[in-house]
Amino acid sequence: MTVQYSELIQPERVHGSLYTDQDIFAEELQRIWYRTWVCVGHVSEVARPGDYVRKKVASQDVIMTRSKDGEVSLLLNRCAHRGNLVCEDQRGNSSTFRCPYHGWTYRNTGEMLGYPYNQGYGGKGKLSLGLGRVPRVDTYQGFVFASFAADGPSLKEHLGAAAGELDRLARLSPEGEIELTAGWLQHRAKANWKLLVENETDGYHPQFVHGSVFSVTGSHIGTLYSDKSTAVTRDLGGGHSENDLRPEFRKMEPMNWFGTSEARVPDYVAKMRALHGEQAEEILIEGAPHVMVFPNLFVAEISVFMINPVAVDETVQNVTAVQLKGAPEMNRRLLSQCIGSVGPAGMLLADDSEMYERNQRGVTARVPEWLDIRRGAHRERVDENGFRIGAANDETGMRGFWSHYRSLMEGEAQ
Amino acid sequence: MNQWIIASEFAEVAVSLDLDANGPRLRLEDLRSGHVRHLDALELESIAWAPDERLRELIDPSAGRWSDRADDADGA
Repeated sequence: MTVQYSELIQPERVHGSLYTDQDIFAEELQRIWYRTWVCVGHVSEVARPGDYVRKKVASQDVIMTRSKDGEVSLLLNRCAHRGNLVCEDQRGNSSTFRCPYHGWTYRNTGEMLGYPYNQGYGGKGKLSLGLGRVPRVDTYQGFVFASFAADGPSLKEHLGAAAGELDRLARLSPEGEIELTAGWLQHRAKANWKLLVENETDGYHPQFVHGSVFSVTGSHIGTLYSDKSTAVTRDLGGGHSENDLRPEFRKMEPMNWFGTSEARVPDYVAKMRALHGEQAEEILIEGAPHVMVFPNLFVAEISVFMINPVAVDETVQNVTAVQLKGAPEMNRRLLSQCIGSVGPAGMLLADDSEMYERNQRGVTARVPEWLDIRRGAHRERVDENGFRIGAANDETGMRGFWSHYRSLMEGEAQ
Repeated sequence: MNQWIIASEFAEVAVSLDLDANGPRLRLEDLRSGHVRHLDALELESIAWAPDERLRELIDPSAGRWSDRADDADGA
């Protein structure tokens, strides 16, 4: 039976089955995860020729490699012979991969290099087989994106206005580049992936879910999302959304966005001022973005998340600390703050994970059938750039997400 | 004897400097099979200068160790 998404996704409410229905999840894989641009990793994870890391795009096991000539490839981790996994380690350095089952050997570009006892195939070079390649690979600010669709919008078109937020992250580095080299934590949540995505720019929950953390640490984050906050939630189009906290940060001193002051990171500030002159003030005040890039890249100022669906009710959230190239003084602090908030015993993600999982259990209840996403719809407005914005704790981002989701799920399948 | 292990999920090789001969050699030991090869300075220089294609030929499993031609079979 064909799902009528226009019935399940309405302007101010969405149906609970969207989080629990196996058929819908299967359709999402085809129409979103194996079609649109999905963030897989960052070029800094394979910095040197021969480097490789294993990644996931939904259930697809992908090897990200860097060849001798510097090209980054995304290969499917499946031997062309019998379909065995070729790579087992999560990361390593090898110009070639040899399947442990029968020894078929590939270059790290996916090209077949050779196979044992080749007379059984009529000699050397007789098989025009190689590792599967993700059809389209592109990068933006070093983030590596994959699209399993041979055709479709370019990465630049897909990112749209969200690209500017990634630019804003990169410009915090004195060298204009971020690196994701601190290692990844994998947080498994028994929840549908969309509950995580919606939560990322939900400014309504922090004061409740994270209230205890804010009270203990004296963090100012809670007030950024209060009713008095001048921050806005912005629908960036294309399913992307952000909590734009800059209106609040602009009332503060440089580096306050990071919960610190210039005096604590003098080398970094000096470097940035030398590099950017007067514009450094703006960069150091406005700080990093809080943006959810559809469907799976979330930048939460100091942390980067890549969300990967495992099953209709299971998701892995890969988390790492932002590292700014050329800013060792900042990087130590970024790492410790990231560990404190989303590390193994991190306070923020522990709170959120509890909510994701409770939410998943809750939506299985038969009534009421709907989830409400109307908050702030009556006070939504359009900003000077034509984007819909709401108050800091409005559900403008969710409505943008669902609008784009619906267009992908209803459109012609590719 | 100083020894380094160069290992990946695909191979594990112990590398050391061998001074037993009249001149120094690099000693390579495939730790999975025990197979040993020594490389002298000129051989190492040749590897350093060998085109990638030549190295790739060596990595072809049928090039030696897993060859089914009797005259090639010198490996484990």
